[in-house]
Amino acid sequence: MENYIKAVSVSRHFSARVCRNIVSTVNLGCPLDLKFIALQARNAEYNPKRFAAVIMRIREPRTTALIFSSGKMVCTGAKSEEQSRLAARKYARVVQKLGFPARFLDFKIQNMVASCDVSFPIRLEGLVLTHQHYEPELFPGLIYRMVKPRIVLLIFVSGKVVLTGNDTQYTKPQ
Amino acid sequence: MFSSSSSDGLALPRVQCPNHPDAILVEDYRAGDMICPDCGLVVGDRVIDVGSEWRTFSNEKALKDPSRVGDAQNPLLNGGDLTTMISKGTGAASFDEFGNSKYQNRRTMSSSDRAMLNAFKEISTMADRINLPRNIIDRTNNLFKQVYEQKSLKGRANDAIASACLYIACRQEGVPRTFKEICAVSRISKKEIGRCFKLILKALETSVDLITTGDFMSRFCSNLGLPKQVQMAATFIARKAVELDLVPGRSPISVAAAAIYMASQASAEKKTQKEIGDIAGVADVTIRQSYRLIYPRAAELFPPDFKFDTPVDKLPQL
Repeated sequence: MENYIKAVSVSRHFSARVCRNIVSTVNLGCPLDLKFIALQARNAEYNPKRFAAVIMRIREPRTTALIFSSGKMVCTGAKSEEQSRLAARKYARVVQKLGFPARFLDFKIQNMVASCDVSFPIRLEGLVLTHQHYEPELFPGLIYRMVKPRIVLLIFVSGKVVLTGNDTQYTKPQ
Repeated sequence: MFSSSSSDGLALPRVQCPNHPDAILVEDYRAGDMICPDCGLVVGDRVIDVGSEWRTFSNEKALKDPSRVGDAQNPLLNGGDLTTMISKGTGAASFDEFGNSKYQNRRTMSSSDRAMLNAFKEISTMADRINLPRNIIDRTNNLFKQVYEQKSLKGRANDAIASACLYIACRQEGVPRTFKEICAVSRISKKEIGRCFKLILKALETSVDLITTGDFMSRFCSNLGLPKQVQMAATFIARKAVELDLVPGRSPISVAAAAIYMASQASAEKKTQKEIGDIAGVADVTIRQSYRLIYPRAAELFPPDFKFDTPVDKLPQL
């Protein structure tokens, strides 16, 4: 399996690993009144019967945030770590402008999803060893749980690979 | 002199022939003896027979089996059922003045294993629906027992775990059943069975082999009533198609179904895609897709000694 990963890094045709989604959390440090935020802010939806958080969206960088009444916030949809941090700061700013003493504590990236393409078809039957799950009946991709950087790769026959589960700031070097 | 049955090797003293301590004793259950094969000395007598009292000819215990000693002992699966039960009385003396039976309480037997026994019954019912042999049922029971004792999947429905164990047992015995076939005899959805399947593999730290197209050929073809020639041709086609990698990423079931379709269309017994789809549990569009992939090289896929009823160029093109 590691050979394939090395092959990926040396292959000329391999297209760059693109980060598709980053999920991060931050603590704004003060309790929030969700109803007030939902009424005042633009692009906010709040449906307490369905979910106990305000869902706010901003256009630049295009992200979505879930803001909870305890002051904790989850920011999703950003394409890079920097953008995620920036977006979280923007949300904090919005909350601050509404009058809450928001701060920016414990910003942590929880998950990063990336995809890449090795550009050659992969024979999944040959890859199945110990760490893998491949059930063609259930899901067409092979699920490889790598131990050292603790990530999960979904490997497809077409040569596309999806990497996820990466919660360290360091993105895995292919 | 202590008698010990051959399965009990714990702290009890082992029975040995005084002249031949190394000889393995032969158990003569009809006379209840343990005999040394070297000198013929009867070493242990009055061995208690733990089998059933007389022969019963049904697969499972018949409702009116008036056995006085209860069921045959099943020590592998239960936690050793040495319990006492009060059964329902039959004579007049067991009813008190109001017509109610005395000693109503049947005294729950081994309540900790009650769920397990229920699950075994469910497994047996499911396996009976698709006519699975005893060895698969035994293996399923063993798997279920292991998973149950581990308690790592305690939150999941027992039926789901039982269905997943059945699926794994079929795979391990080399006769895999598709998830859809197991779904058909179980009330659990395919998604849930699939989830439990992955969890059980992780919990028991086993793995199963990949399914191949040939595992399903005999079953599907006989369900469709296709002759042996067609079945062999379909097996060959499917294997060749996978070897040549004409069908990357397709589930082996779909490839098998497409191969059966091609083989049957080339022979005298032509089956429609819908019929094959019904038997295999694949949609007919899926068969169409896989068929389109193998059609261009149909000529090389057939076995060399195949008798064509419809020649290769007249095969339907979808």
